[in-house]
Amino acid sequence: MSNAIDQTRRMLSLVTYLRERPGAEVAEVARAFGITERELIGDLNVLPMCGTSFRGGDLLDIDTDGERIWWHNVDDVAQPLRLAADEATALLVAARAVAGLPGLRERDRQALTRAVAKIEDAAGESAESSARVGVTFEAEGQVFADIDRALSEGRLIWLRYWSHGRGGMTEREVDPIRLVTEGHTYLEGWCRTSEDRRIFRLDRVAEIKVLDEPANPPRLQPRDLSAGLVNPGADDPEVVVEVGPGGRWVAEYYTHDSAEELPDGGLRITLRSADPSGLRPLALRLGRDGRIVSPPELAEQAAAAALAALDAYRDGQV
Amino acid sequence: MAIAKAERLMNLALCLMNTRRPLSKKELRESVEAYREAWQQGSEDAFNRMFERDKDDLRELGLVIDVDENALDGEVGYLARRDRNRLPEIALDAEEAAALTLAARVWQQAKMSGAASGALQKLRAAGVPFAEDAEHSALEPRIPAREAAFEPLLTAARDRRPVSFEYRKAGAAAAEQRAVEPWALECWRGHWYLAGFDRDRQDARVFRLSRITGRVRSRAGEFTGTVPEHMDVRATVARFAGEGATTAATVRLRRGAAFPLRTKALGSRHVDEQWDELEIPYGHGLGADLAEFGPDVVVLGPDDLRADVIERLRAVAGLGE
Repeated sequence: MSNAIDQTRRMLSLVTYLRERPGAEVAEVARAFGITERELIGDLNVLPMCGTSFRGGDLLDIDTDGERIWWHNVDDVAQPLRLAADEATALLVAARAVAGLPGLRERDRQALTRAVAKIEDAAGESAESSARVGVTFEAEGQVFADIDRALSEGRLIWLRYWSHGRGGMTEREVDPIRLVTEGHTYLEGWCRTSEDRRIFRLDRVAEIKVLDEPANPPRLQPRDLSAGLVNPGADDPEVVVEVGPGGRWVAEYYTHDSAEELPDGGLRITLRSADPSGLRPLALRLGRDGRIVSPPELAEQAAAAALAALDAYRDGQV
Repeated sequence: MAIAKAERLMNLALCLMNTRRPLSKKELRESVEAYREAWQQGSEDAFNRMFERDKDDLRELGLVIDVDENALDGEVGYLARRDRNRLPEIALDAEEAAALTLAARVWQQAKMSGAASGALQKLRAAGVPFAEDAEHSALEPRIPAREAAFEPLLTAARDRRPVSFEYRKAGAAAAEQRAVEPWALECWRGHWYLAGFDRDRQDARVFRLSRITGRVRSRAGEFTGTVPEHMDVRATVARFAGEGATTAATVRLRRGAAFPLRTKALGSRHVDEQWDELEIPYGHGLGADLAEFGPDVVVLGPDDLRADVIERLRAVAGLGE
């Protein structure tokens, strides 16, 4: 159903747009509306069935030869339409959030701030409810700015990076690919040290240098991030975690294959990880709110680490 | 074959925009082929339902539809006045337009993403100079909203309509019914939160959308609590996430270990070749944050934090209660 809504919305703008552009090119119009030519032709097939027929069948006489679009009985019905509340909210909330992204170039921030003010003006009361939605993006401003510069200048990056799974500091050379912000900001890059594509969280970067050497990331298909930033491979080893009610957050933070309800209000969560031993911090964090069911080695590693940690609390230690 | 919905909506919109007097339901039924079909093949009821839904859909798209008396026969009629539906003049320069193009792409949620591109299409049709081929940017801010409760709550907060839903509090074994007047939605660290007036508790509350189970139901009536002028949802959520702490804890960290704790340190000193000593803010959830680092962290105080960490470690070590 939402398809019909989006199509109607688009067709209403399309008639306004076509009115000013007799003989507009199909390819150009499709690009302008961010749709495929096929979708556009679909719209152009519907429009001639539309009109204000109560006045006697005056349908929109819009046709196309597949290359260009002609509207033969241009009508003044096609005025630019006011923004809907949801449209104003979607645009304003996003623009304000991006403007607040630490490390964004000052020029871009100012352009966004100006645009927000103008949209607020033009949207009038439609803009009111946009104040009821807020989004905060987080990034370490200086690290963000350095990576942004490396990306635009096409240069290699050197990082001293905290590897949370391994619990240690690492040094890496990375060809930057993109900066992705979803709550936190992450660098996606080609890690020359591990010869693989990697995601780095900016708040775990201890030190960064933009090197003189040009970046040369291998040509890769952009990863589909729709299911989340961490997408385990299908062949990655399985990890099963059972949590009580206090550990349900695990299912919210970790991309998982399944989360089965348990009678006590807990969950049995199955996820996959390229390196299960990297989940040791999770195993330690769970305390009595949950336990690692498998692999058993992970549970053993965590138990050994906990025992070693408890040693320090014996009488006379600290 | 039934006439496609988009065609029907488009026809209704054009009729309503192109008239200078209110059109009665009967006139519209005769003008729009899809309605005539629904009426002939279905019933008066089927047509009425369809017409009401379509009107709502067009209003969602921003069309202001006035309901007035039809001058001809005194019946109620509908029209979308041009002056009330026109986008005011808006002049954006190329830089502002480019910045908005980037912003419009950040929504990963179907409805908001559709609304954002719809807004750009309206602006483009009104002459805003968006680049035809927006260059692919290496900056990708994304706003996800995978929670099913997002869309109904967004609409309810917009329209100031009370709702009810089943909610499972953090750590609770079961969900319970909550009746809430939704004030504002906030996305922080990739998760959505709702702030509102909890009718049963007669007080403001913050809910995490991922803990809402089942459907969000709309309730009749108006808000009963006063909507605050300013709502800092983020501060409330951040406090629960351990930020804004007013007391401090003292911990020992193995040298080179536990970088995330070091970035939060209020002060640190070198103890010996193996250990550093740090003062860190003692906020909610610190015990779990410290336990993660196992033998690389030793809590010196306060005592309740020390006891909390020891208890967590004992559970993981399998040392029982």
